Amino acid sequence: MNWDFRTCPYTGLKVDKNADALMKVNAVVATVALLIGGLSAIGVLLTRWQAIHLFDAAWFYRLLTIHGMNMLIFFILFFEMAILYFASAVLLNSRVAAPKAGWVGFGLMLLGTILIEWMMFAGRADVLFTSYVPLRADPNFYLGVIFFAVGALTVVIQFFATLVIAKREKTYEGSVPLVTFGAATAAIIAVITLGHGAAVYIPTYLWSLGLMEMDAQIYRLVWWGLGHSSQQINVAAMVSVWYLLGAFTVGAVVINEKISRTAFVLYVLFISMASAHHLLVDPGMGPAWKVWNTSYAMYLAVLASMIHGFTVPAGIEVGQRLRGMTKGTFEWFRRAPWGDPGFSSLILSIIIFGFLGGITGVTFGTEQINIIAHNTLRIPGHFHATVVGGTALAFMGLTYYVIPLVFRKKVAFFPLAKMQPYIFAIGMTIFSIAMTFVGTFGVPRRHWDITFANSPFDLQFAPAVDLLLGVMGIGGLIAALGGGIYILITVWSVFLGTPMEGESA
Amino acid sequence: MPADGIPKGLTDPPAPLPPDIGEGTEEQTKATGTLILVFVFLAAFVVYYFVNWKLLSALWRIG
Repeated sequence: MNWDFRTCPYTGLKVDKNADALMKVNAVVATVALLIGGLSAIGVLLTRWQAIHLFDAAWFYRLLTIHGMNMLIFFILFFEMAILYFASAVLLNSRVAAPKAGWVGFGLMLLGTILIEWMMFAGRADVLFTSYVPLRADPNFYLGVIFFAVGALTVVIQFFATLVIAKREKTYEGSVPLVTFGAATAAIIAVITLGHGAAVYIPTYLWSLGLMEMDAQIYRLVWWGLGHSSQQINVAAMVSVWYLLGAFTVGAVVINEKISRTAFVLYVLFISMASAHHLLVDPGMGPAWKVWNTSYAMYLAVLASMIHGFTVPAGIEVGQRLRGMTKGTFEWFRRAPWGDPGFSSLILSIIIFGFLGGITGVTFGTEQINIIAHNTLRIPGHFHATVVGGTALAFMGLTYYVIPLVFRKKVAFFPLAKMQPYIFAIGMTIFSIAMTFVGTFGVPRRHWDITFANSPFDLQFAPAVDLLLGVMGIGGLIAALGGGIYILITVWSVFLGTPMEGESA
Repeated sequence: MPADGIPKGLTDPPAPLPPDIGEGTEEQTKATGTLILVFVFLAAFVVYYFVNWKLLSALWRIG
């Protein structure tokens, strides 16, 4: 078979055109999912903002389900599939192992996505992201999840096969680059995740057809092997993107390859155990199980993030110092390219992920403290900082490099693109902090109406809650504006944008 | 050379490190700025963790 390659004029990398096409379609679908998830986020936000309280209960839970699935699964995973092609075929100068299998995988993921979206918008799957049994959705919802998972698994297998081919055909020398190594850990965690997905969703599908019984306790236990681990794919992919953006934007160095690679391995070994922190107040699990999984094993995964949280900025600092920015302690920081959206996204992503998401997450992962935080708005306050302020922002920063390198188009509205990471980060920071604070007052998460109107009982929250919900709403709208600008720039650049020099329109 | 619509990392990429740079001087290889940021992070961590235990102790009084 003849393989068609092009050579990137900026990086000098040899790019298999199959990888090019597969990266493009995955990135486009990811952006569509981000748009759907973002619009539903505004609906959820304006309903939880008690002074506005926009939608009725049915549509609130429907939009919350749509928001969760689109943001946590479709946007992130389609984007990560594009990253897997980039980190394997492109970075290693290799061909894609089996392009047809790549298209089959993409097709299955798309089919699953359409099926799930249809069920959710039709009101036949108002079961939220967790779809906890005994809440029952239409069987097609679970079937869609199975299609999606099988498709994603196909792409992950393709990633490993491409690594083998690159090694066999000697397309690179020495060890694989750190970014590829990080993507490989994300792919291994993806296999663990999808294994849990199969273990929980195939029986749930049969249960939804009335063919078998489901145990709610077992469902929760196995489901979080999927639900939490899927977010850990995000973390491994996000950290890989951090290293990549550091190298692209300022020529960051890897200060110690062994330490960075060991930290990635810690994710693989310990992150599944960290899923236990979702069940810290679950009466079905014993204290020894909870304490072991969250107080010891989980901290080894946290340690990995703390290592990367040091090595990435330290690599940037040393890279800048080696290029002459040695004055004082922070010249390397002051003179960094703050107008490059790739760099600003990288730094803001590290700060929000570490300071807001990381600190709150480890604190809530402590069993005793979890008792006062569990099922309050403190929890979504935490994970919006990790997944949105951390992962999504890093992916947005990478997009500003993907548009010229992969789509070979100029970034449209570039002055706006320079501001976008700041708008999004400021909005998400205000939103996450306000949400976390309002949760401290005991305001529950996933709740349509905290005034409990027409309920047989009454519960009054502190007056500060109304103020904080308003601040949360304003922060959320600013973040939505930042997200909207990102989608505008991306869609315009890809479909209506100016081709790079030397490229035909 | 900066160009509109293309990030600086592509139009004006970081200068390649000279091959004879070796290990670099002490000034070039220390990461004191990052270390200071790490201690700021640690302080924030300690404060937030302590506040949460304090809150818990206020809610669940012993004795």
